[in-house]
Amino acid sequence: MNAPRSATLCALTACLLLAGCASVSPDGLRGQVQALADGRTAGVAAPALPSSDPTARQQADAAVAQWLAQPLQADAAVRIALWRNPGLQARLAALGVADAQRVQALTLPNPTLTLGRFRSGHEREIERTLGLGLIDLVTLPWRTRWQGQQMEQATLDAAQDVVRLAFDTRRAWLRAVAAEQVAATQERMHEAADAGAELARRMARVGNWSRLQQAREQALWTDSAAQLARARLAAATEREQLSRLMGLWGADAHYTLPDRLPDLPVEPEASEGIEARALRERLDVRAARLELDRVANTEGFAGVAPWAGDIGLAYTRNTTTEQDTGHADVKRGWEVELAVPLFDWGGAARSQARGRTLQSAAQLQDVALRARAEARTAWLGYRTAYDLARQQRDAVVPLRRFISEETTLRYNGMLASVWQMLAEARASSQAVADALQAQRDFWLAEADLQRALAGTSGNSSSGIASAALPGAAAGRAANPEPQGH
Amino acid sequence: MKRRHFFSGAATAVAAASVGRAALAALPEIPQHGSADTAVPPSPPTGRPFRPVVTLNGWSLPWRMNAGVKEFHLVAEPVVREFAPGFVVNLWGYNGQSPGPTIEVVEGDRVRIFVTNRLPEHTSVHWHGQRLPNGMDGVSGLNQPAIPAGKTFVYEFTARRPGTFMYHPHADEMTQMAMGLMGLWITHPRLDAHGRHPLIAPADRDYAFLLNAFAVEAGTRTPRVNEMTDFNIWAWNSRVFPGIDPLVARRGERVRVRVGNLTMTNHPIHIHGHEFEVTGTDGGAVPPGARWPEVTTDIAVGQMRQIEFVADEPGDWAVHCHKSHHTMGAMGHDVPTMIGVDHRGLVAKIQKIVPDYMVMGERGMADMGAMEMPLPENTLPMMTGTGPYGPLEMGGMFSVLKVREHLAAGDWRDSGDYVQPPGTQAWEWRGAAADLPPAPVAPTAPAASTASRAGAATVRKPGPGGTGHAH
Repeated sequence: MNAPRSATLCALTACLLLAGCASVSPDGLRGQVQALADGRTAGVAAPALPSSDPTARQQADAAVAQWLAQPLQADAAVRIALWRNPGLQARLAALGVADAQRVQALTLPNPTLTLGRFRSGHEREIERTLGLGLIDLVTLPWRTRWQGQQMEQATLDAAQDVVRLAFDTRRAWLRAVAAEQVAATQERMHEAADAGAELARRMARVGNWSRLQQAREQALWTDSAAQLARARLAAATEREQLSRLMGLWGADAHYTLPDRLPDLPVEPEASEGIEARALRERLDVRAARLELDRVANTEGFAGVAPWAGDIGLAYTRNTTTEQDTGHADVKRGWEVELAVPLFDWGGAARSQARGRTLQSAAQLQDVALRARAEARTAWLGYRTAYDLARQQRDAVVPLRRFISEETTLRYNGMLASVWQMLAEARASSQAVADALQAQRDFWLAEADLQRALAGTSGNSSSGIASAALPGAAAGRAANPEPQGH
Repeated sequence: MKRRHFFSGAATAVAAASVGRAALAALPEIPQHGSADTAVPPSPPTGRPFRPVVTLNGWSLPWRMNAGVKEFHLVAEPVVREFAPGFVVNLWGYNGQSPGPTIEVVEGDRVRIFVTNRLPEHTSVHWHGQRLPNGMDGVSGLNQPAIPAGKTFVYEFTARRPGTFMYHPHADEMTQMAMGLMGLWITHPRLDAHGRHPLIAPADRDYAFLLNAFAVEAGTRTPRVNEMTDFNIWAWNSRVFPGIDPLVARRGERVRVRVGNLTMTNHPIHIHGHEFEVTGTDGGAVPPGARWPEVTTDIAVGQMRQIEFVADEPGDWAVHCHKSHHTMGAMGHDVPTMIGVDHRGLVAKIQKIVPDYMVMGERGMADMGAMEMPLPENTLPMMTGTGPYGPLEMGGMFSVLKVREHLAAGDWRDSGDYVQPPGTQAWEWRGAAADLPPAPVAPTAPAASTASRAGAATVRKPGPGGTGHAH
């Protein structure tokens, strides 16, 4: 009696202990997500994720207010997005839910106590059976491990979302800043066209120009007005996108943006070791590897589980009391319940598990292949964007400026008209706008490269392949075709 | 006048090398002239005497006598010519300058001219207006094979007719003349025992220049040789105002001016303050009965005119081509008229995008004469030059005849500004408007234009120093 009792106790205690091992993460795994995302959030060190701690929340809100009071820098934008983006908050909350579900899944089923009272003529039988499904208990260590792996995967997925959001925000910031600058440039260009058109109007008014000549300048004005409207729309749209990613609205969205993009680096990054780095550091590669481990681990078990079914273990103590004599006969004993693998030998389940392993292996290969290719193409895009931005800045803009200055000298000598001078000035401003866009495209490509090397896959393109808008048409040709004779 | 000197080292080494030392030793030396200053020739050291002409901003070619023959040596070569201080052009010329040196001989002289070609292509020399053997006329292909690059040809003939002539290539003529390859030739008359000639009077001052035109775009220094009509550099002897030396004379002197036209259009040459007569052309002396008084004579393309007058009015008298566009420097012929266009409110707007912008032409173009605006490199303002009373607003084919009471016969220097006797200059009326004679309006005059001319925009004048021009 003692031994079995103590055995029972032991078993129960063990169950309780094991079950107690699985507890819900207090911060909904945010710490782990943060650790995984750290160093992969678009160049921002240790960004804070939304917290349930009121003190931390207050501090972060104060910091956000401070960042929004000054011209908004890219790092601050990323931090605000990680703190305030509702989509990310929902994602992290879901991770907490999944964690609670994991703990739920690892909780052992409660043992069953069967009580029976039977009477047969002269006997009264009281049956007490304490039964316990053993399969969950036996498999608990494995299941704990798989569930842990699954959670790790979920955490990795969430971290990838954090990384994506960080890079998306950086890209949105770059686009918003550049669009605002381009709009300012277009404004200057429109002012020039405006002056040209007004002067043309006055020329026609006093009879120095025909209405045809005036109409040509007027047409330039309408073109530049349309371009300005588009540039302003683009600036507003890009800004909206940035605000949305940062989770800002209302008064918070009235922040100012800096009036320039960061300068180009003196030297672009080299391409050595980018593929190795991508395979080493990318979160999606890591997640695929973890998935393969997990699936492979379950393979052996999967073959056994179906035909093993549930192993039932029960301890029964039956007391039979003769009513006449009052003599009680106690019946104690263990009872084990096993499935007979008559039909299901687990072959299908094994094949299924094997298939899953193969599938996971192939998926890992696919993710690795994609990571390599993305690293290479991202670097190529980065390098090309760098060269284009350098050329625009060091060659095209100075050339346009020189042409504009030389045309001004010719205007001074009455060798060129004020409209030719304005046309060249417009072309020069257009070159500045193109240079801004090239500079923006470089930083977008740089963000893509960082994400491709250390973060994860993204499905947005940097827009390098799309050529910049053609410049405003210059006025009348400055160099008319020479006439033959 | 302080002038810069440009030495042409542009002769091609290849051409120079192809003429052997021994061959060159037999030739007369090659005189070179290193500046665009007027070089007054000395009295002839050898041969028959004559009174040399003064080639404006040019020189006369020395010769050597060889057994009674005057031997000259012309070298056709690339040169750099200063058209005015601050404006130089790559041209083709002779003996270091464009135009080439003036060749002066006397009627009846036997002349031998060695022509060495240091151009990158073949050339020839046509002696415009001369009587000479057909094979000496210089039309390549017709009269002679062209002179190949690096070779020396010899022309030899007797100067049979006195007068004013030119020389220029007749091989790839359009290109070579558009590049400034030309020169003057003067055949002085043989005089009788009394030192006279029946048709050619002795002149105290004998000036000569060629009219030539170039297409040199602002900021460049080589002519566009393919231009046919739209030239922008109107020159006398490859020189433009204010780079053209004045014509000086003592009061009462007989002045002769010989002008040849090697441009593509005619030039009415006009002299202020005097009447003159055309006493000769490249066809010879005009008989006295066929002369008539003029103040302007039109010189058609390929023509020469020799005019004479007595400089009897003291003062600084303008001498210029009367085509007003020909007294301008490089200008934009497509630039619209800005006169009367109100610029108010637009200046700041334009300066926002072109910081150096300033209004020009709103009241006319005279602002150009006064303002020192930065211009493209190697470009003169289209109108410039300053006299004692302000800007002359001139350029191109413009010079000054300076007649003075006291001037030594051999003094050819610029006499400075003329000081007018009191009471002989136009003055500002400061009296009451009522004292003015009435100014009736023509009966058919249209009503005054309603175009508002109020409030011309203020012109911001940058200080000097940004132009890089020598003034």
